[in-house]
Amino acid sequence: MKLPKIRELIEAIKALIVGPYTSKFPFKPHEPYPSFRGQPVYNPDKCVGCLACEEVCPADAIGHEDITDSLNPKRKIIHYTDTCIFCGCCEAACIADNEGIKLSNEFDLAFFDRKTAEESIEKDLQLCEICGAVIACKDHLKWIAEKIGELTYSNPTLYQSRLKSLGIIDENITSVLKDHGRSDRVKILCARCRRETTLTTV
Amino acid sequence: MAKSVIPIGPYHPLQEEPEFFTLTVDGETVVDIDIQIGYNHRGIEKLSERKTFDQSTFVIERICGICSTNHPFAYTRAVEDIIQVEVPERAKYIRTIIAEGERIHSHLLWLGLAGHFLGYNTVYMWVWKLREEILDVMEILSGNRNSYAMFKPGGVRRDINAEDIPLVIKKIDSIIPTLTRLKKAIIDDPVLHARLKGIGILTKQEAIDYCALGPTSRASGVARDVRKDAPYGAYDRVEWDMIVTENGDVFDKVVVRILEMYESIKIVKTCLQNLPDGEIDLNIKDIPPGEGIGAAEAPRGETFHYVRSDGTNRPARHKVRAPTFMNLPTCKTTVIGETVSDATIILAGVDPCYCCTERMAVRSIKGKKLYNGQDLIRLSQEKTETIKKKMGIK
Ligand code: SF4
Ligand code: SF4
Repeated sequence: MKLPKIRELIEAIKALIVGPYTSKFPFKPHEPYPSFRGQPVYNPDKCVGCLACEEVCPADAIGHEDITDSLNPKRKIIHYTDTCIFCGCCEAACIADNEGIKLSNEFDLAFFDRKTAEESIEKDLQLCEICGAVIACKDHLKWIAEKIGELTYSNPTLYQSRLKSLGIIDENITSVLKDHGRSDRVKILCARCRRETTLTTV
Repeated sequence: MAKSVIPIGPYHPLQEEPEFFTLTVDGETVVDIDIQIGYNHRGIEKLSERKTFDQSTFVIERICGICSTNHPFAYTRAVEDIIQVEVPERAKYIRTIIAEGERIHSHLLWLGLAGHFLGYNTVYMWVWKLREEILDVMEILSGNRNSYAMFKPGGVRRDINAEDIPLVIKKIDSIIPTLTRLKKAIIDDPVLHARLKGIGILTKQEAIDYCALGPTSRASGVARDVRKDAPYGAYDRVEWDMIVTENGDVFDKVVVRILEMYESIKIVKTCLQNLPDGEIDLNIKDIPPGEGIGAAEAPRGETFHYVRSDGTNRPARHKVRAPTFMNLPTCKTTVIGETVSDATIILAGVDPCYCCTERMAVRSIKGKKLYNGQDLIRLSQEKTETIKKKMGIK
């Protein structure tokens, strides 16, 4: 009978010496293990705006908004902290060598207002030179051009984007001809306009 | 004495499946028990059909907050069964490590709660402190204390870094001395003997008849364990024993769970030490039309998943059966004939969550409220005190 009591006593004394397992957070900062999965953070320099992360996210925690009405069309990619489950699928799917979005160690994400629980980055958007439809982010077109190498030169949308990004042709160049025909072919076009310019040659 | 009806519930989320117990009591003795399940329907199976095969894993992981790995384990096995592929060896080991780590923390959690119900709040705190080590191990390995996000059809999402392994093994080893002290403290504590032995007995035949699973069946002498019966993961590559005891009472359920933790520790350590090199993922692209089944031994028993694919990237049908579904009806034999103060711990014997007991309510037949969940726990704790007094222990 005495034995269990002594055993418990040993544990109690040990607990007194060792102290509680819990840390003193928030008075002392907590350091999570390096492998901890915390808040995903975008890197606007690496991200090309392809939205693969939005596509794979199981919790629909990533959204985007295309702002096309200004002179400077932008794609706003938004990550919602309140819905994110920190699974890391976005990082795993990121086409920019998994560096466009990365899970950080940040865990202290409490907020009072749900509306503030979002972070966003903006990427320059490329619009169709004829109809103004969204094609892709400028960086994404550049990324494709780099990936496929010289094959780029089979597609005016790609090589024009690439030449513009290299500064070989003027960033703001647009053709004055608006005939929706042959001369339009050498422009940055959306898929629909490309088909129309190819089919309706006058 | 007039019979009284005691509703326990209506929300009684015994892990995955909330249910509603109505206890009919004659004085102190339970004469009947009725169980209803189906509350808190979350539509998980439908949700899973809305997501892609890959995304579904995360929904499935959230069926249960405690055994959050065995559902994806069974699900990914079902998907792999459709394609008829074997995951890479390294992935199998990693899956096993995560699943066993989860078993340790789940059993510890249960043990702590059982202590609380019995009025052993020291055990409760002691065990939960011990559980922190395991949760830290899981954080090192998977990046989170729970909801590990490790599984995917075809393999695992994250590799285990070789440099983390020594720390993990050290942490796991560190719980063994305390666990052993705890085991001794529980197994030769005369009060616990008096309190738990012979309470809520599920005989071997009843366990077979009710198709009881997991520790509930193994405590009754039915050697039933998916890990041994149809080995998956790396369970057939490591040495471990199935823990089976004969009495089927609550005490044996405690013993089975404690001893199982040692086996789990053994499995995790062997797997970590013998982690084979190689790929961790098959990178499955297409899932052909077909049907697949998958089973995994969760801490509470066999989890079973059925998945049908129609060739698209989403499951056409997904069916989940959690272990509690089979274990719960056993209380029809275990609780009847026992006293109200024992009902809490017997129901807890199949391994419920805390919130269930919190919401227990006791009403007399006229609908006048007598006790709530707190009172039931108090009743249970008082019984322990009475036993202690009788035995002359302070
Ligand atoms: S971590 Fe997971 S849930 Fe969060 S944004 Fe990335 S993919 Fe979505
Ligand atoms: S580059 Fe990466 S981070 Fe950027 S949108 Fe694509 S997947 Fe997301």
